[in-house]
Amino acid sequence: MGSTNSTLLKIPNVEVLMQETGFSPAHIIRLHDRFKALDKEGRGHLCPHDFGAIKELAMNPIGDRIIGAFFSPGKETVDFHTFVKILAHFRPVDKDRPKEPNSPEPINSRSNKLKFAFQLYDQDKDGKISRDELLQVLRAMLGMQVTDEQLESIADRTIQEADLDRDDTISFEEFRKACKHKRFTMFRFCIRPGERKLMLTLCHWSSELQDQHEL
Amino acid sequence: RSLQLEERKPSQQIAQRRVRKRRRLRKVRRRVRKSREEEERKQHVQRRRLSSSSDDNSEDESMSEGEMARLKEEVEEKKKLIATLRNKPWRMKRRLKCLKEAQAFVEKFEGALGKGKGRRLYAFKVMMTKKIIKFNRDFENFKTACIPWESRIKEVESHFGSSVASYFIFLRWMYGLNLVLFGFVFGLVVIPEVLMGMPYGSLARKTVPREEQDSAMDFSVLFEFGGYCKYSIMFYGYYNNQRSIGLLQFRLPLSYLLVGVGIFGYSLMVVIRTMARNANEGGDGAEEGTFTFCWKLFTSWDYLIGNPETADNKFASTTTSFKESIVDEQENLKDENIHLRRFLRILANLLILCCLGGSGYLIYYVVKRSQGFAKKDRNELTWLQKNEVEIVMSLLGLVCPPLFEVIAELEDYHPRIALKWQLARIFALFLGNLYTFLFALFDEVNSKLENEKEIKNATIWALKEYYTNYTLYNNVTENIPPPNISPADVIRGPCWETEVGIEFVKLTVSDIQVTYLTILIGDFLRAVIVRFLNYCWCWDLEAGFPSYAEFDISGNVLGLIFNQGMIWMGAFYAPGLVGINVLRLLSSMYYQCWAVMACNVPHERVFKASRSNNFYMGLLLLVLFLSLMPVIYSIMTLPPSFDCGPFSGKDKMYDVIMETIEKDLPPFMADIFSYASNPGLIIPAVLLMVLAIYYLNAVSKAYQNANLDLKRKMQMQRDEEKNRRNNKDSTNQVMKDLEDLMPNKSLIPPPSAEETEIPADQLRKSPKVTGKPGAAATGKGVHVQKDVSLAAANPRAPVTRPPGPRPPGPLPGNARGPPPGQGMGRGRGGPPPRR
Repeated sequence: MGSTNSTLLKIPNVEVLMQETGFSPAHIIRLHDRFKALDKEGRGHLCPHDFGAIKELAMNPIGDRIIGAFFSPGKETVDFHTFVKILAHFRPVDKDRPKEPNSPEPINSRSNKLKFAFQLYDQDKDGKISRDELLQVLRAMLGMQVTDEQLESIADRTIQEADLDRDDTISFEEFRKACKHKRFTMFRFCIRPGERKLMLTLCHWSSELQDQHEL
Repeated sequence: RSLQLEERKPSQQIAQRRVRKRRRLRKVRRRVRKSREEEERKQHVQRRRLSSSSDDNSEDESMSEGEMARLKEEVEEKKKLIATLRNKPWRMKRRLKCLKEAQAFVEKFEGALGKGKGRRLYAFKVMMTKKIIKFNRDFENFKTACIPWESRIKEVESHFGSSVASYFIFLRWMYGLNLVLFGFVFGLVVIPEVLMGMPYGSLARKTVPREEQDSAMDFSVLFEFGGYCKYSIMFYGYYNNQRSIGLLQFRLPLSYLLVGVGIFGYSLMVVIRTMARNANEGGDGAEEGTFTFCWKLFTSWDYLIGNPETADNKFASTTTSFKESIVDEQENLKDENIHLRRFLRILANLLILCCLGGSGYLIYYVVKRSQGFAKKDRNELTWLQKNEVEIVMSLLGLVCPPLFEVIAELEDYHPRIALKWQLARIFALFLGNLYTFLFALFDEVNSKLENEKEIKNATIWALKEYYTNYTLYNNVTENIPPPNISPADVIRGPCWETEVGIEFVKLTVSDIQVTYLTILIGDFLRAVIVRFLNYCWCWDLEAGFPSYAEFDISGNVLGLIFNQGMIWMGAFYAPGLVGINVLRLLSSMYYQCWAVMACNVPHERVFKASRSNNFYMGLLLLVLFLSLMPVIYSIMTLPPSFDCGPFSGKDKMYDVIMETIEKDLPPFMADIFSYASNPGLIIPAVLLMVLAIYYLNAVSKAYQNANLDLKRKMQMQRDEEKNRRNNKDSTNQVMKDLEDLMPNKSLIPPPSAEETEIPADQLRKSPKVTGKPGAAATGKGVHVQKDVSLAAANPRAPVTRPPGPRPPGPLPGNARGPPPGQGMGRGRGGPPPRR
């Protein structure tokens, strides 16, 4: 208990942070450990290249976007508070916890998670996923295997499926509608007690993983 | 606070129904009181616990202080609610619901609030839940790990698509089936005979005849399954007709017959059950078609992948699945001259029918000719004449499938459907093959039967001669010892069952050889040549003519199916055949997986096939029936050989059953069987079954229709929503604004009206647009215009077909939609008809 408290005391504004994110003290400590492990040079903040050490992200076709999501525009670093706040998106949705009627929506709510995922695709932050943005993602995912023509037809078809107001882009509302029917196990965030390892496990909807990496 | 609902006092209704309801109310109230008392008791206990033990600090601190306080408050509130529920002026139904909810809540969270034992119990519960989740996860992983070759098939699937994977899944399924058959045959027939039967050399049927003994161990003889192979447990002839063997009095002949029939029974059951299960599986997921691409795009990546090889596989599978979807899409979008297409399809079918008819006649003709040749002396015939049937058959098998494929190009089906047609056509061709084989076999069996009769007479004659001679020389008429001949020298019949078994085994083995050699030469060698000769060749071998081979799904599937037919037919005459087949399937799984991954390239049009393919199963069922018939026919009508096999000495093979019924079962069972085999009972039973099938069929049709209806309704609803959104967002808002603007409701928009309403429209349309600064500045008018005209083009009738992709040109509504003006405004005035 003593070590826990001392670690907690080192972090400023722990109470506020826990209030905002819903992490327990144990979580915060683990996250702090992980943060320190990622921050190899001990500067107290992380740079984009620090995230490259996470294998799962290096493999991911849109891994750089996920890393980018940690950095608010114009900033090159991320401190512990922001780090935890971003990771709070990855907490499982609390099903049983009663909600305060007037409290703000928790970070890990369904729609916030979806918003996070949406922003990964919406690169120019205009609230819509345009055809070009889809094409970028598709190029990253499919690479050289598919002709440009086919890529374009995939993008068109995707937009056409999701697009409800026929403006040839996918707005957040439409994105949510399209992903509504899939099982939503997005943003599993896992700190396994044994290995003290943080994994970013993002929006995977497959049912095989439904109870995997539950905290 | 779901409970803070508005208080409705339906006094009027209560007054109306009071008399009717009173009794029910009383009952319910009693129930409520009881549960409340229970709750109070629980609380009391809780309180006592609290006083007794309060120091229980658990290490599992998973909630913050604020949350705890909140939760506590909440629980208290619920408790209060439970206490005062009786006074609430609600309906009984609602009260009950509230009570149940509140009770569940209190029960769930009271423990979490650190109240004495409850706290510990809660911690324990949480721990157990975690453990259970972990265990379940591990168990699932274990189950997945237990599925044989799953990772291999996954790998193939990710590179070659689900169509190729479906072959391997079929192969795996077949392996499972054969393993069970192998268990039957070896457990109930072969091993008892080996353990408890008479050893080799004790009987004539278990001994190699004297004249063959010199060459019995030669490889060339063994390779043809002669010599020691022929007189081994692999074949029918080796088994003794002793009624029961060993200490256990194992009834081997009966077991042999029952296993022979049971193989068919089990296979039929498994095939039909699998088919039924597959048919059930296809039903779910009505939404599946609507968001295919969205889901693939946004959710296909597995974010847990940390291994580069897995990532490669995932990349491949994502690409493949996209390609599959593209093919499906293209098929949906194809709009062409339907009459031409129909004509071409009919033409193609005619051509293929001609081909099939021609090859059928050719086979018939050749078989007839060979029967003529068979009557002549074998030495006079040329090699060509001897092997005519085989040559024609293999030529047909070589030429026809590619020909069919070429003709199928005319039809231009979706590749999945094209594969089915191709399979069905080659299947018809292979049936000819089967027909000739069986024809030749029956001829042989008949000649053997005649031959056997002669030998049987000769044996009887020799035995009689021996007895008379013995009496003559020794002057003894009784207690004559049996003739003292070594089992190798006994006169023996041709044993047609063993011959048939040898034919089947030979066929299977040569099939294995041909398949493996084809893969080695046609795929591997070709791939090696193309790969390495490409460095020094005048044209591009990889992209040009020889290229790499594609995996031939239809050929492989049919090969597997017909091979299985051979096994089913041959297993009765050669119990060892099942073992050979198991080995073959096992090796072919590894070999073909390797060959596919190493030497083949994916199909040009990868298409999606369901993981459980009922079409293959249907073909298998057909082959099963076809192979069932000759075996059953031989069991029921042909006389078994007199000196070999478990049924020797009987008139018919099924006499074993009669014997068992007579000797081993109590007499009333025999009566029952004789009644049951009465045609008067069988015919009504068959009739009943036919009626049941008819009824069930009708019911399933009705369900299918209902299902289709529901699907269509869902689609309609979705489309309607799409339309409604579209209209509400644009036109209706516009029109409403217009109406607001104009007090006289003339709805004649002045030219400037459009300009004035645009900002309002933009504001109201959706908040998401307002966040987009660029769009508002560029082309406002165009935007609105587009929406309006699109809405106008929207038909009000429900759309039953999913919309095709938008053509790249101008939007369809723009050309013919009425200009946003008076007429349209009137038309759109009323609310859309909605259900």
